Amino acid sequence: MASLSEEVLLVVKKVRQRKQDGTLYLMAERIAWGPEGKDRFTVSHLYSDIRCQKISPDGKAKIQLQLVLHTGDSTTFHFANESTALKDRDAAKELLQQLLPKFKKKANKELEEKNRMLQEDPVLFQLYKDLVVSQVISAEEFWANRLGGVNNGEPAPYNNKQEVGISGAFLADIRPQTDGCNGLRYNLTADIIESIFRTYPAVKQKYSENVPHNLTEKEFWTRFFQSHYFHRDRINTGSQDIFSECAKQDEKGLKSLVTQGVKNPLVDLLSLEDKTLDEGYGISKALPSTSNANKSVKESSNSAIIKRFNHHSAMVLAAGSRKGDPPTDQASETSSTDGNSRDSDFFQPPLKKVKLQEAIEYEDLQRENTPKTVALNLKKSDRYAHGPVPLQSQQYTTSQDIINSVSYIQQEMANYKPNLTRVLSSTTATSAIAALSPGGVLMQPVGQQSINQMVPTDIQGELKHLYIAAGELLRHFWSCFPVNTPFLEEKVTKMKTNLERFQMTKLRPFQEKVQRQYLSTNLTGHLEDMFQKAYSKFHIWQTRRMMRKT
Amino acid sequence: MASEDELNLLVIVVDVNPIWWGQQGQREPEFTLCKCLDAVMVMGNSHMAMTRTNRLAVIASHCQDSHFLYPSKSWESGDSGGDEISSSRDGKYELLAVANNLIAEEIRSIMTKTEVTGNSTDTLLAGSLAKALCYINRVSKELEVGQEMKSRILVIKAADDCALQYMNFMNVIFAAQKQNILIDACVLDSDSGLLQQACDITGGLYLKIPQKVALAQYLLWVFLPDSEQRSQLVLPPPAHVDYRAACFCHRNLIEIGYVCSVCLSIFCNFSPICTTCETAFKIQLPQMVKPKKKKLKQAA
Repeated sequence: MASLSEEVLLVVKKVRQRKQDGTLYLMAERIAWGPEGKDRFTVSHLYSDIRCQKISPDGKAKIQLQLVLHTGDSTTFHFANESTALKDRDAAKELLQQLLPKFKKKANKELEEKNRMLQEDPVLFQLYKDLVVSQVISAEEFWANRLGGVNNGEPAPYNNKQEVGISGAFLADIRPQTDGCNGLRYNLTADIIESIFRTYPAVKQKYSENVPHNLTEKEFWTRFFQSHYFHRDRINTGSQDIFSECAKQDEKGLKSLVTQGVKNPLVDLLSLEDKTLDEGYGISKALPSTSNANKSVKESSNSAIIKRFNHHSAMVLAAGSRKGDPPTDQASETSSTDGNSRDSDFFQPPLKKVKLQEAIEYEDLQRENTPKTVALNLKKSDRYAHGPVPLQSQQYTTSQDIINSVSYIQQEMANYKPNLTRVLSSTTATSAIAALSPGGVLMQPVGQQSINQMVPTDIQGELKHLYIAAGELLRHFWSCFPVNTPFLEEKVTKMKTNLERFQMTKLRPFQEKVQRQYLSTNLTGHLEDMFQKAYSKFHIWQTRRMMRKT
Repeated sequence: MASEDELNLLVIVVDVNPIWWGQQGQREPEFTLCKCLDAVMVMGNSHMAMTRTNRLAVIASHCQDSHFLYPSKSWESGDSGGDEISSSRDGKYELLAVANNLIAEEIRSIMTKTEVTGNSTDTLLAGSLAKALCYINRVSKELEVGQEMKSRILVIKAADDCALQYMNFMNVIFAAQKQNILIDACVLDSDSGLLQQACDITGGLYLKIPQKVALAQYLLWVFLPDSEQRSQLVLPPPAHVDYRAACFCHRNLIEIGYVCSVCLSIFCNFSPICTTCETAFKIQLPQMVKPKKKKLKQAA
C-alpha cells in the first residue's frame, strides 16, 4: 500500500487493467493501480523505469494508455468511465508527460553510456562478446573498471552556459504592423520582453508592481506602447501615465552618467564638438550656448533623440555587463556604467595609473619570467664520446711490425699498374656466386619463412581476440594480489574459475582447430604459459592461506 | 627505369691502411692492395658504364688523412691527362680510362708519401665518410635545375674498428640518414659493429665476404645495383645488429642497467651518487615488516 508520505497527484477511478476494474493513482515518484475494493496495489511502476507512454488513437472505441518500461514490458490501462474516459486519460497523459522527463535522465544515462562505449570501440565490443555473452565473467565485473565516470555523478559540463547578450536593436525589432482599421499591431516575443526588462530595470519594476494585480499583461504592454515613454518625442508626459516616473528616472540616470564621465584619463570627451565650420574644415571654437531659447526647434528635437539614443546604448551596455539579474543589488555595484547606481569616486586615481601604464608599457618587451633552472654539471663528459669496447682484443703490433708493413706496401705500390683483365678467375667467381645464391653460405636466414606468412589471417584474427580476452581476465586475476580483504579473496577464487572456464571453452577448441589444419607451429604456447603461471600463483596463495589458518 | 635526369652518385671509400695491407700482403700474397684496387676499379667502371648519368668518386682512407683518388684536382685543368690517355688504344670509353689512370696515379703518390708514427695506426674512417658526405652535398648543390640526385657510399673495410672514432662515426651515420644517403659496407677481415649499425640505420647492405680473392664478384653482385633495384633482387639478408649500450664505468655491453635521470649516463651497478653529474639519489628501501608476535596459548 502507498505510504502515507507519498503525495498523490491524481486519482482516476474506473480504470481497467487486464480486464479488472480498479483505480489508477499517480504519485510523486511512481504510478500505481489497484483493483476495486482492494487496498493493495497490484501494479506499480517508478517513473524512472518507464521509457515512454503511448495512447490509443482518438477514433478508437477503447480509450487506453500504455506504459512501456525500459525492460521492454508494457502495461495497458483502459479508461472505462463512460462519461469522462477521454478527459481522464488525457489528464493522466498530461501529468505523465510532465513527470516522466524528470525521472528519465537518471536511469538512462548509465545504459546510454555503456551502449556508446560499446559502439565506439570495436575491440571493447569484441571483448564484451567474448567474455560476457559467453558467460565467462559477469557483466558487472566487466563494467566495474570502465564506468568510473558515470557513477560518480559528475556534473554535466554544460552547466556553465554563456550569458546571452542583448541586441542593441531589440526595440526596432518590434515593427508595428497596421491592423487594417486604424490600429497598430505590435509583435512581442519573450526574447524582446526579456531584453526590455534587462535593459530598463525601471520597466521591470513597474511590471512586477502592476501585473497581475492591476493590469493584465496585454494591457500593460498596450499602455507601454501607447505611452510617450516609448515614443521618441517625450515632450508630453501626462501624470496619469505609469511610465512617467520611468521617464524621470531615465533623465536622472542620464544626468548622473554625464557627471560620472569617462574614467579613462587619456580620453577627453569634452573636446569633441559637433559644430563644424564647414565640411572638412574642423571644429569651431565657438562657446556652446547654454540658454535653450537660442536653439532652433529642429536642434532641440535632434538633441532629444540623440540623448535618447545615448541613454539607450548606455543601458544596453550596462545590462550586458551586469551579471545575472540583481535589480535589488545595485547597491553593491561600485563601478558600473549604469547611471542609476552610486558613483565611484574613490576608484579614480588607481584607474588613471593603470591606464597610463597600459599606454606606456608593452607586455612582450618585458623581461621573461622563465622558471629558474638548475645547470647541468658534468664532471666527466668524455664518457659520452666513447663507444663500447670491441669484443676482440686488439692485435698488438710492434713498432718493428709497423715499419716492416709500411715498407712492404710502399714497395708494392710503387709499381702499381691496374691490370683489369686479370681481376677474377672463373673458379673464384663461381664459388662466390654459389655463396650468394639462395641456399648458399651467405643466404641462410632467407629460407626461414616468417610465421605470419604461414598462418592464415582468420586464425591470426582469432588468436588476437583470444589474447585480448585472456589478457583482460589475467588482469582481473593479478590485480587481486596482494589479497588483503575478503572481497579480494572471493574475487581471486572466482577469477581462477573464470580462467579455467576460459581455457576449457575457448583455448582448447582453438588449439584443436589449429592442429587439425596441420599447422605445426605452436601458437598457443605462450597463452598456456600465462595460465599456468596464474594457476601456480593461486595454488601457492591457497596453501599459504591454509597454513596460516592451521 | 630511372628517369633521364636522375643522377646516381656512388662514393667508394677504400680502406688503405698501410700497416694492415702490408701484413696482409705478407700473409696472403694472392690478395694484395693492388688486387683490391683493381676490383674497386672494376666496380667503379661498371657503375659508370651502367648509365650515362652515373657518377663516381673514390676516397682512400689512410691513417694520416683521407684522400680523394677520383675526381682529383689535377684533372680539372685537363692538360696533363692528354698524353696518357692517347697511349691506351684499346678503344676504352674515355671516361673510364681517365678514371683508372687517375686512381692509380693518386694511390701511388699517397703510398709513397706514407709516414706512419706509432700512435696513429687506425684508419681514419669517420673522417673519410665525412668527406664523402661533404662531396655529395657539394655535388647536389651544383646540380642543374630539375635534376635529382641519389647517392650512396660504399665502404670497403680492411683494418679493425677504432673505438676513439665512435662519436664522429655516429654523427656521420645520422647525418647520412637525414640526407637519405645509403651506407653499404663490404668487410674483408673482421666484423665491425659500427659499420653494421651504419648499414642498419641508413638502409644499406652489410656483407663480410668469406673469400677476399673474389672481392670483385661480390662487389658486382651485391653492391652494384642501387636501392630501387635491390628490392627486386635476392640479396643476402640483413644481419642482426647488436644495439646494446655500453655502461660508462666498465664499457661493457649491458642489456639492463641504471640510467641517471639528470645526465642520462648508463651504469651497470647502482651507486648512490652519479659519477658524471654528481647527483645524489635516494632509493626507498623496502619496508621491513616486523614479524607479529603470536600470543602463545598457555596450556592449561
